[in-house]
Amino acid sequence: MWADTWNGRELAWRLFLRNIRGLYRQTLLGLFWAFLPPVANTAIWIFLREQGVFNIGDMQVNETLYILTGMILWQAFGDSIQMPLNVLNKNRNMLSKLRFSREALLLVGLGEIVFDLLVRALLLALAMAWFGVAPSIAALGAVATVVMMIALGSTLGILLMPLGSLYQDVGRLLAMVVPFWMILTPIIYPTPTAFPGTLLNWINPASPFLILSRDLLLMGQSDMWLPAIVWGLITIPLAAFGLIIFRISIPVLVERMNT
Amino acid sequence: MRYGLVDLGREIVGGGRDRTSEDLRPGEFFAVKDASFQVRAGECVGLLGPNGAGKSTMLKMINGLILPNAGCITINGNVGAMIELGTGFNPVLSGRENIYINAAVLGLGKKEVDRCMESIVEFAELAHVIDEPVKTYSSGMKMRLGFSIGANLRPQLLLIDEVLAVGDVAFRMKCFAHLRELVKSGISIILVTHAVSMLNRVANRAIVFGDGNIIHDGDLETGCTVYEETMGASDRVKHAADPEPATKARIIKAEVVDESGELCKEFQTGETVRVKVTLTATESLDRMNLFAALCSPVHGRVAAVSTASHEIDFSIRKDKTVCVTLIFEKIPLLLGAFHFNISLYGPTSLDFYHRASGIGNFRIVGPPIRSDGRGIEGITKLPYRWTIED
Repeated sequence: MWADTWNGRELAWRLFLRNIRGLYRQTLLGLFWAFLPPVANTAIWIFLREQGVFNIGDMQVNETLYILTGMILWQAFGDSIQMPLNVLNKNRNMLSKLRFSREALLLVGLGEIVFDLLVRALLLALAMAWFGVAPSIAALGAVATVVMMIALGSTLGILLMPLGSLYQDVGRLLAMVVPFWMILTPIIYPTPTAFPGTLLNWINPASPFLILSRDLLLMGQSDMWLPAIVWGLITIPLAAFGLIIFRISIPVLVERMNT
Repeated sequence: MRYGLVDLGREIVGGGRDRTSEDLRPGEFFAVKDASFQVRAGECVGLLGPNGAGKSTMLKMINGLILPNAGCITINGNVGAMIELGTGFNPVLSGRENIYINAAVLGLGKKEVDRCMESIVEFAELAHVIDEPVKTYSSGMKMRLGFSIGANLRPQLLLIDEVLAVGDVAFRMKCFAHLRELVKSGISIILVTHAVSMLNRVANRAIVFGDGNIIHDGDLETGCTVYEETMGASDRVKHAADPEPATKARIIKAEVVDESGELCKEFQTGETVRVKVTLTATESLDRMNLFAALCSPVHGRVAAVSTASHEIDFSIRKDKTVCVTLIFEKIPLLLGAFHFNISLYGPTSLDFYHRASGIGNFRIVGPPIRSDGRGIEGITKLPYRWTIED
């Protein structure tokens, strides 16, 4: 499995370049489209807060920056969950006809998530400069927690992928559930500090890494270390298990792909 | 889908489905069964068969995409595949960029592509447009580019699926020449195609699949005719145009026999073929006529003959049979499988009684034809001569 993943790196790189070049060559505004979803979402939520439609406590940092950071991180997590099923569906023709490293497709999907995240990180850096928020050295720790967040999201996506390949209901359900899941994650409101909100911080897989990453980026400190470490300990073996499931399930799924 | 879920569960939890089990679940069938063959180095084998016969499933198993329920596939060396030319092409990107992508999909590294980039472009004859987006290419140009990339594969076993109809005639000839060169260099090729007429340009052996089984494994000529016969004898041909038999008179059977009157299925070009058509009627009928269309599953109707054109007719007595024999002396047909569509009429063509399609099957199995422009080919051997004048 590891050898196939390693051998598939060049293919993954080529397919990644193909997708990115293909995507941006067909747009007039280019990278702007990577900025747009978090910016638009942030603008909507800020507007609603300004209008008093909802108001859930005061944030410790600039609220625009707070929501924008949360949105960017959530976008990466949401994309990670949907990525395995998306790459499988996009490459059905190739999978059913050619033999190549299947893991390369996961690498392509991860590459695209990281690329989008980096583009959006540039936006975040500009926003931080605009609002005069300087990241501390602890912000470097956010790199590791974001990696873990993407790993967890992708692993959950991989575990759903076999079922999602057989039943379209899974893809539809995911598209419906992800926005609700976002509401359950403290992105547009401050991190809960009292029960039952604190329990939700623990049991919602998106929360620990997202909150910790955001706290480290904007404040340089966080109370979410413990849940993040616990979820980290869960994520690593779960990711290995997910890759095994991916490898075992692909031939069974290919048998059923009649493209 | 439910089976998929069960199989997935078994693969994950129980280490896999009992793949040797003969028990099929409702709705399942074996796409390939009891199919064993061996391909030697430097051999080019054509896999033939009607749609759904199991060719592509066999190719997928050889390529390692799916696993057989029983048996094993042993390959000495690596496998390359030219299946679906241009897989992975992005229409927005240039031909040059797409060469790197498609080559990576086929397993070629950047260094290898860099080394043979010029030869790929030259082989595809696309030097003038190689830096233009692929979306500006015609479908033939895309196929040419796809083939040219695949042509650089040098595996021990090359799998080719339905990609021989690529580009114009001149380009196809170049592809065949390239494949022949690969075979000469010791590379084995397994080729799936319906283009039987093209097969003899490169293959030297044919394996014919029918309903998941191998029905012929051997020389190419016989293989092609067996394949054509399979197509001709298919239910599609037999029953597609046949109305319900009339009650008054009908065709019972058509048997093909040789000069000595023995039942025979295989003939050489130039031999005598006799077709004995047995008829019956529920009342006595006079001035009856037969119309027989000689057909090839590949070429369609080859010729049509009738008793009326020879100004002869016949009678059928009530509840008796009559045998009408159609004789082709020195039959000029070349390699292929043939069958008859026979119609029974009364005195005029408005007095139609019965039609039987896909009957009287026979094959012409020799002599070999040549598709390299140095022999005869086609479906008939015409009498001809050459003259040369200064």
